[in-house]
Amino acid sequence: MMTAPPPAEPHGWAARCKAAATKRRERRAAELANAVPIRLYGLRRGTVTALTLCAALFALFILAPLAWLVINATKTQANVYNTFGFWFARPFTLFHNLSLLTQSMSGSGVYLQWMGNTALYAAVGAGGATVLCALAGYGFARYRFRGSNALFYLTLSTLLVPITAVALPLYLVYAKVGLINSIWGMVLPSMVSPVGVYLMRTYIAASVPPDLVAAARIDGAGEVTVFRKIAVPLMLPGLVTVFLLNVVAVWNNYFLPLIIFTHSSSYPLTVGLSLLAQGAGTGTKGGLVPVLIAGGLVTVIPVVLLFVLLQRYFRADLLRGSTTG
Amino acid sequence: MASAGVGVLSAPARPAQAAPRRPRRGRGERGGVRGLWFVLPFLAVLTLFMFVPLGYAIYTSLFTTKLIGGTTFAGLANYRQVLTSADFWDGVRRVLIFAVIQVPVTIGLAAFFAAIFDLGVAKFGRFFRVVFFIPFAIPAVVGALMWSFLLLPQLGPYTRVAGALGFPGANYFSSTLVLPTIILVVIWEWTGYNMTILYTALKSIPRDVVEAAVIDGATFSRVILRVKLPMIKPAVVMLVFVNLVGALQLFTEPSILSAFQPQAVSYSFTPALYVYNTSIGSGEYNLGAAAAVVLGLVIGLISAGSLAWRRRKGDLA
Repeated sequence: MMTAPPPAEPHGWAARCKAAATKRRERRAAELANAVPIRLYGLRRGTVTALTLCAALFALFILAPLAWLVINATKTQANVYNTFGFWFARPFTLFHNLSLLTQSMSGSGVYLQWMGNTALYAAVGAGGATVLCALAGYGFARYRFRGSNALFYLTLSTLLVPITAVALPLYLVYAKVGLINSIWGMVLPSMVSPVGVYLMRTYIAASVPPDLVAAARIDGAGEVTVFRKIAVPLMLPGLVTVFLLNVVAVWNNYFLPLIIFTHSSSYPLTVGLSLLAQGAGTGTKGGLVPVLIAGGLVTVIPVVLLFVLLQRYFRADLLRGSTTG
Repeated sequence: MASAGVGVLSAPARPAQAAPRRPRRGRGERGGVRGLWFVLPFLAVLTLFMFVPLGYAIYTSLFTTKLIGGTTFAGLANYRQVLTSADFWDGVRRVLIFAVIQVPVTIGLAAFFAAIFDLGVAKFGRFFRVVFFIPFAIPAVVGALMWSFLLLPQLGPYTRVAGALGFPGANYFSSTLVLPTIILVVIWEWTGYNMTILYTALKSIPRDVVEAAVIDGATFSRVILRVKLPMIKPAVVMLVFVNLVGALQLFTEPSILSAFQPQAVSYSFTPALYVYNTSIGSGEYNLGAAAAVVLGLVIGLISAGSLAWRRRKGDLA
């Protein structure tokens, strides 16, 4: 491989970016061809059927609650309890149930507002986390500076520290500095994603060629230009993955907002729904069950949609980076 | 890089490989502090929103606040109270029981499905992988809510089916059954995520290893148990750590389930609930801070264990 002459070297770093992207695609195609044909295992035909059946049963286990959620979002409270859970019942009140979400529910706040809060927290929190992870990952992967190893180990040491362990400490600090009920109190800690930094460092090390960075520097590009024009386009799939993971983390976060928000007007969906559940479960507030179920459905849809839309950019293999290196 | 050679074979036009070898530049630019500017914003947020609060919680935990007399230094008294509290240990014991069941079942199921999808011995593998991963994107609050309704005493559809199958009147929120119910919900939530990680780990095993085993006459189950599983052991061990940390901070599922049957879930049902209820619930912030520090320490130890394990394996070179 050393002796091969440089054939038709693409000029400029834009072309080389494209070459790197092509290489990535080829690697994925090679991965697909990496499976050993099943017939080699000499399995009986029944085995394939049996294993497929196992998977189908588990899929049923996974999907049944979601089917229940969709079906029961169309029911009245009485029908939720009195009719069979996995089939529809008259009257069909889906739109009525959804319209209830726009109303204030006996002082416990408005669902739509919680939805807006969640979207805001998720967008700002995950967006900020992604930017910080991209910068830090690039800094750790493509620079060496005094203390860079120590700082990277410091980051790694927080890899498994969950937000649950920090939630009460955060509350104590917020009480001192007046961040209780502040959106920043929710958004800023959501930007801390050591896993994301680690993923981005791994991803950049593999997908942003150091030669390319050096070439751009020789062409006179500054550090920020190199980062924006070369590194960012190459790390895009990694960035989308980190963004999605952080959206899910913020969207689904329950413990932190439960602790730091005391006004129901700042609640995200998760805390709002648990408030509704408290009312519905103990039966103190009549008619809350349809709101709860329709609200749950509407909570689930955006995240699932986001995953479906961005699925082709989502790199599941990066998830493994978060646990194996 | 193991893939470099393969890359040259399949794509001879690749420029970087063909270029004459230059002196290695290591990970990147040496010297200077330009890299620090990229890392600094993250480190600032990390410090302000993780290290500072943890430090402040430790400080707070050393004091007591009384209605009369104000705040006084108490040394380790709060820790003594937490560590001698039967309620706290009750919660610890419960999450340990939870972990002993949930972690192996989740990882076992995940490994089973990852293996059969990786080998392609079940049909529609791609479809199933997407379906299994869905609960990861669903808030635990909603997951727990759905399961609460499904298992509602007398009225839930699953309860009715169980009744028809000969288990009438089972109350899945009773104090004896609530923990198994939570385990079920958590398995529903996390198996797909674990499976996705194990699947990608299995996919990265080179084909020739498996081919060699098959040619040597290894049966299907031997390929999985003797060839593939040992090669993904690092991923499995890391998942054990991740799931263990998850188990220790169990909070959302029991607190949602308690909305339906408040007496089944005590205020110290899990350590995280204990932290929440002593501090936010009853205003004993110093005590809650001590409990949070204890919980954080245990999680920190597990983290450190996983880090040490990785280093020993040379994963973090």
